[in-house]
Amino acid sequence: MSSLRQILFLLGKDLRIELRKKESLISMAFFGALILVILNIAAGIGKQVDADTGAGILWVAIIFSAVLGLGRVFAREKENGCVAALLISPISPGEIFIAKALVNFSLMLLSQLVLVPVFYVLFGSHFNADPLALVPILLLLNLGFSTTGTLVSAISAGTRRNEVLLPILLFPLILPLTALAVKATAGALATRPFSERLEQLEPMLAFCLIFSAAGYLLFPFAIRED
Amino acid sequence: MTPLNRATFLPALATLLVPLAIGMIFFYAPLEKSMGIIQKIFYFHLSLAGAAFLSFFIACVSGIMYLLKRQRIWDARLAASIEIGVVLTTLVLISGSLWGRPIWNTWWTWDPRLTTSLILWFIFASGLILRSAIDEESKRATFCAVMAIIGFVDVPIVFLSARLWRSIHPTVIRSAGIGLESSMLVTLVVSMVAMLVFCAALFHLRCIQHQQESTVRDLQQQLQL
Repeated sequence: MSSLRQILFLLGKDLRIELRKKESLISMAFFGALILVILNIAAGIGKQVDADTGAGILWVAIIFSAVLGLGRVFAREKENGCVAALLISPISPGEIFIAKALVNFSLMLLSQLVLVPVFYVLFGSHFNADPLALVPILLLLNLGFSTTGTLVSAISAGTRRNEVLLPILLFPLILPLTALAVKATAGALATRPFSERLEQLEPMLAFCLIFSAAGYLLFPFAIRED
Repeated sequence: MTPLNRATFLPALATLLVPLAIGMIFFYAPLEKSMGIIQKIFYFHLSLAGAAFLSFFIACVSGIMYLLKRQRIWDARLAASIEIGVVLTTLVLISGSLWGRPIWNTWWTWDPRLTTSLILWFIFASGLILRSAIDEESKRATFCAVMAIIGFVDVPIVFLSARLWRSIHPTVIRSAGIGLESSMLVTLVVSMVAMLVFCAALFHLRCIQHQQESTVRDLQQQLQL
């Protein structure tokens, strides 16, 4: 029970900072929307994209914008030596990992509240799919992305080239998850039956579980400052 | 004296075995019926791929051992196996492309095996970039160990999901694997052994180099104090 309270405490702290400064969230939503606009122009103005291309475009915007927020979560702790303070506090590294992953999860979810409607406005005039069909895909990808991303951003924040290294290290790892999400989203946009999408959702869930466990076990090594 | 002996023994064995394998590929193994001379690339391609996956496995094991024991030797092994693995995977991708062009009529296709190799290449090449970005020794070793473990964990997932997102398999790869003629099989085994010995020699030399490098750095620090 007390570890749950500690996790919620850390989560509340990070969300409060975010709420007051709004630095990550605004840049994530702004950058994501910008990518959607650029891709809309790149796809050809006035042309309608099919479900497969549309799904790919949506995920490019989400993944690229999410990296922005991910980089900030640890860079902020590093700036004032807060990592050392976190480590000497009676909170275990595993709990820090869960809290940080939850922060990233919520940031991604909040930015998607902006990005998905923008996507529908720009591309979706001929997709008559229910936007709610995207929810399970979004949740699973956010979970996998935030757990893997938390571990990798702890590593990249410990180096001299945080902003450059984070996407380089992270994108190859989450490529299978993204590819599955794209395929599932294409199915949802083309209003194919849900049972067909399970074929992608189940491996996505497996990815999330494996990387949550691996992240929880490896995070103490990634954050420790020798 | 034993490490020195091994350092000379493995390269010597490799210089015997690699020409033997090349000779067998071109003069002993029969010409494949439908693919012709281009099929000769298969012996190298497969042995390179085998050695590449093996070195990523060694990287993962070394990573785990480093995190458990914190000994420098495991970091040297980790670094050496990642380097060799990246070089070998590059060669696998190139030789596969060269083979695929005349046979499949394309340089690249999203077959599960090709996808897995490419993503593996990206993961471990990013590990090399990570290594170059950190100066502090223990931190570099720890971070690389974490990346090697998580990268290797990713491999089965990549393979599985690549099979799901592309459902049409080119069966060419499979038919090349099964039903080899015995002389082809012998050639394949010889070239695989040659490649493994060659990689073991490289691995050993790189390990020694990495260890010497850190010893030199220690001495440098002692002199400065």
